[in-house]
Amino acid sequence: MSNRYVEMGMRSPVNLTWEVSLACNLRCTHCLSSSGTPAEDELTTAEALDLVEQVHRARVFQINFGGGEPFMRPDFEEILAACHNRGIMTCISTNGTLLDAARVARLATSRLVAIQVSMDGAKRETCDAIRGAGVFDAATQAVKLLAATRIPTSINTVLTAQNADEIPAMHEMARSLGVSLRVSRFRPSGRGADNWEALRPSPAQLLAFSDWLAASGDVRTGDSFFSLTSQERQGLGLNLCGAAKLTCCVGPTGNMYPCAFLQTERFKAGSLRTETFQEIWDDSEIYTSFRGLRIHSCEECQRFDQCHGGCPAVAWHLKNDINGGDPECLERCVTSIADDRLAKAA
Amino acid sequence: MAAAGIRLHPACRVRREGFGLLFYDSRGPRLLFAATGNLLSEDYFETSRTRDELPEGLSDVQRKSLTKFVDQLLEKGFLREQ
Repeated sequence: MSNRYVEMGMRSPVNLTWEVSLACNLRCTHCLSSSGTPAEDELTTAEALDLVEQVHRARVFQINFGGGEPFMRPDFEEILAACHNRGIMTCISTNGTLLDAARVARLATSRLVAIQVSMDGAKRETCDAIRGAGVFDAATQAVKLLAATRIPTSINTVLTAQNADEIPAMHEMARSLGVSLRVSRFRPSGRGADNWEALRPSPAQLLAFSDWLAASGDVRTGDSFFSLTSQERQGLGLNLCGAAKLTCCVGPTGNMYPCAFLQTERFKAGSLRTETFQEIWDDSEIYTSFRGLRIHSCEECQRFDQCHGGCPAVAWHLKNDINGGDPECLERCVTSIADDRLAKAA
Repeated sequence: MAAAGIRLHPACRVRREGFGLLFYDSRGPRLLFAATGNLLSEDYFETSRTRDELPEGLSDVQRKSLTKFVDQLLEKGFLREQ
């Protein structure tokens, strides 16, 4: 990764996270956006298709669709087709429960789509405790349907205290199903904030995960864990927060944010109903401030070059300070464990 | 035998940036930042062409440098031979 070029400023994001709807048929306890019922005044089909045109003109490489459950939008496949007709690569994050054979066959007609099916445990009871009864079996069935096609498919797991010990088994499960594993970081936004204390991995679990990840080069993280990146995984992804530099987020009503975990009024960069995508990317004060963000409190840390202060969203949600440094970075995990040992010994 | 054509891999995209060209490979995903300045346009890789088919008006040094760059793109999988 060349930070020098990133800091010169990109003409547009490399990829865009687009939360197309807040509607969801599940109520996962860690949901980053408290999804369930649709947001009031979500983008219409015409507005969504216009956004696809704008994103195409901006030469964004990829759109990562999330929500909510994207397939809850009746026009979602129309939006997807518009992306593919424009050569935009897409990745859909889905809970898998609305994927049947017919839909998978339609999706498989494009070579520009990849799919992530969310599952949160190798054991049925672990997954269903987070995502709801019956979801493990439904998601597994969806993965099997997808694995039989040429669609690049992964199981996406959010690392929590409950499933941390099952991640290696999930890796095996993904392999046996013929797909890859992607692990994402749990962040305290949406319903995830309400359940933070119950679900957050401990520093020891984060450290153990970092070690395991170092030895598991085929596991993807979507750059979620650059704050924990070990020597072995350097060069596999980002070593800094990409929000407003390489990526950004569009919410269900057309508001733009630095990332999916900062979808609040405080971090609203603009609305696609009053400005264009390119205008917001170029001129938003929020984006400009993120591009200039320097976590000075972390600059003396020996790992600064590896994470540059970590995830500002976690710092914001836990410390109300965007400049505060990531409270769950590798260095702080190590310090926290050492402090606990000292306290116990005293 | 005709020389093999090269073009952007279907899983890859390229666009112009201030420093030159930015390549994206969705298989990683991974990025490649190429400080090519104004020597190559983003359209250059969209059509099939031979390895030594470079834009007109380049100096020998620039030709050598771009030929090496194209070879690197092939090696890294951003381009493919057809």
